[in-house]
Amino acid sequence: MNVRRRQFLKAAAVSAAVVPLLRTRARAQAKPIRIGYTMSATGPYAVGAGITQAPNYTLWQDQVNAQGGLAVKGEGRRMIEFVSIDDRSEIETAVRFYEKLATDDKVDLLLPPWGSAMNFAIAPVAGKYGYPMIGPTAISGKFKELALPYFYTMLVQPAPQMQAVAAMLKDARDQGKIKKVAVAYVNDLFGIELNAATGPAFRAAGLDVVDTKSYPLGAKDLSPVLKGFKDAGADAFVGLTYPPDNILVTSQAKEVDWNPAVFFTGVGTAFPFYRDRFKGAEGVMGIAGWNPKVKYAGAKEYFDAHVRKHQKEPDRWASAFAYASLQILERCVGEAGLDRPKIKAMLDATEFQTVAGPIKFAKGENVATPGIVGQWQKNEFELVWPKAAATGAAVVPKPAWA
Amino acid sequence: MAQGGGDRSRGGAQAGLGVTLSPTLLLDVVIGGFTTGGIYALVALGLNLQYGLMRVLNVAHGEFLMLGAYVTFSLHTGWGVNPLLTLLITGPTAFAVGLALHRLLYAPLLAGEAAESLESRSLLLSFGLMFVLQNAALLIWSADLKGYSYLAIPLRWLGTVFPANRVLAAAIALALGVAFYVYLRYSLTGKAVRALMQEPEGAQLVGIQTSRIHGLCFGAGLAMSAVTGSLVSMLFELTPFMGLPYTVTALVVVILGGLGNMVGCLMAGLLLGLVETAGVYLASSDIRLISSYAVLSLILVLKPSGLFGR
Repeated sequence: MNVRRRQFLKAAAVSAAVVPLLRTRARAQAKPIRIGYTMSATGPYAVGAGITQAPNYTLWQDQVNAQGGLAVKGEGRRMIEFVSIDDRSEIETAVRFYEKLATDDKVDLLLPPWGSAMNFAIAPVAGKYGYPMIGPTAISGKFKELALPYFYTMLVQPAPQMQAVAAMLKDARDQGKIKKVAVAYVNDLFGIELNAATGPAFRAAGLDVVDTKSYPLGAKDLSPVLKGFKDAGADAFVGLTYPPDNILVTSQAKEVDWNPAVFFTGVGTAFPFYRDRFKGAEGVMGIAGWNPKVKYAGAKEYFDAHVRKHQKEPDRWASAFAYASLQILERCVGEAGLDRPKIKAMLDATEFQTVAGPIKFAKGENVATPGIVGQWQKNEFELVWPKAAATGAAVVPKPAWA
Repeated sequence: MAQGGGDRSRGGAQAGLGVTLSPTLLLDVVIGGFTTGGIYALVALGLNLQYGLMRVLNVAHGEFLMLGAYVTFSLHTGWGVNPLLTLLITGPTAFAVGLALHRLLYAPLLAGEAAESLESRSLLLSFGLMFVLQNAALLIWSADLKGYSYLAIPLRWLGTVFPANRVLAAAIALALGVAFYVYLRYSLTGKAVRALMQEPEGAQLVGIQTSRIHGLCFGAGLAMSAVTGSLVSMLFELTPFMGLPYTVTALVVVILGGLGNMVGCLMAGLLLGLVETAGVYLASSDIRLISSYAVLSLILVLKPSGLFGR
């Protein structure tokens, strides 16, 4: 008994001596930077997360680690290690995990999850623990109202986005190509806010809105809505839609024999999947932000690298902004180190050059990117409005459904 | 907000909801309701067969619909098989899977247990099954939206227009539902099933083999779910998580129509479809869920055994 006890003590003493040794050696090889986030791999948000955000996180990690790691000011390069879970599209799960990342894991940096509602829920957590976070897939005027000092949004927010749509429609109306506009929106944070921005923007443009209808998330039949619009004589359709109902509304427009001169839809139109699903989707318009034809440094390389790694194209709206948010973070860490208040100060003051063009934050909102309208033309989502950012000219009326 | 509120001024009386009730609108509602209700009826029939007969509430019912939909999608987009022909594959396959599942999982559970523990255990089992099937689908087909166009053409009739694929899918669903009812009504096996539903002990006394009938019904229930999935795949985008809402709707229909009542199930499915569609046309799309739960609550208050329950 005694012997065994002595052996145990000896072993314990030896290991106690060895563990710090191992640790020092690990430090000599530069500890990896730990970056935490949650991503919806299952549940209703999985579609958007899997197209727009997750592929860009892993692409960036691969690229940075292939160069020997992320350059940290004063420390040299450190490998990137992700600490992440599937939040199952449950907001509570995400909030809990972000709390844990900040307090228990004490990760070096945080990346945001996918979607407006998710970002809305975790943004206060990021603020509470002083983690700067750049949300690439968050649209809501409420972010500005809440004035979250550590949260930054990349995408064009509701008001400027709908002003761009209004200007495009006004142009078509002035040329006599459309007369009456009908609006449908999904009853979720995204649709509600965009619809709220639509009223003032369309009124200011003097557009004749003949009908506005909402429908619930997960709607299974939108033909009654579309038939109503058709009977009301609308020749421009503006759908503030989410991916599943976006597909539904597009296929049903064809099925109820309605081909308005302008057919504009929301989230999902810019997905390559949408183009492939509707045989080119020729002439369909949607919210856009980017395509591989833009003239920004690294845009084409980004597109190619994305296709190489994931065997699928990035989407034509937020994908490039998700990647750009990581470019911004990379530059901040390179120049300010891992000191989070310093990163925040740099985010507030700097204009960044990214694959998605120049990005400049004012009170947390990216104000350098204009609201953009895209249109599928010969397999590319051409940016057709505003004309200053255009890669092609708008085609109105759209051709017949394929 | 709603400027115009649905300008359907093609003659007729005001319906009092700011909508003009015309013959065309009535046709829209009836056909639209039947196309939704036909699908509801078929998926509910399968659940009713399992729950009504064995008191096994299969929460994973909708997952077999999802699998049926994915198999049809894969066969159609991969090998160009006509989606309608795939019913001949998904139906029998699901039937065989159902037989096997019953033999391996449910039969041991059903043997010699008290009714109360049986229901809760089968519930746990099917919840487990649901997660396994969802995640298997996630691994095989990924979370990306999948879908294809089939018969996505307008069908013009009496001055209005309907999606051809929906009408076809609902017609097939209804035909299958009615055919199954006729089978239950007139075949010997069907009579045995009905006997077991009405009087389990009496049925055993006259020599009906309970476990065999249970197995067949479990298989038939899954087959109906999978076949509905094949039909649904022509209409909607697929995700690994599409099943659960159908399970919930099926449960509503089963309760509406009365447990174990097949005619009730068919009628309740159609009724639910009609009520939902009428709500959407006359008021707003947002009212769809509210109207279906309102009908359910009303029936539960007025006639707790279901519309056609005894």
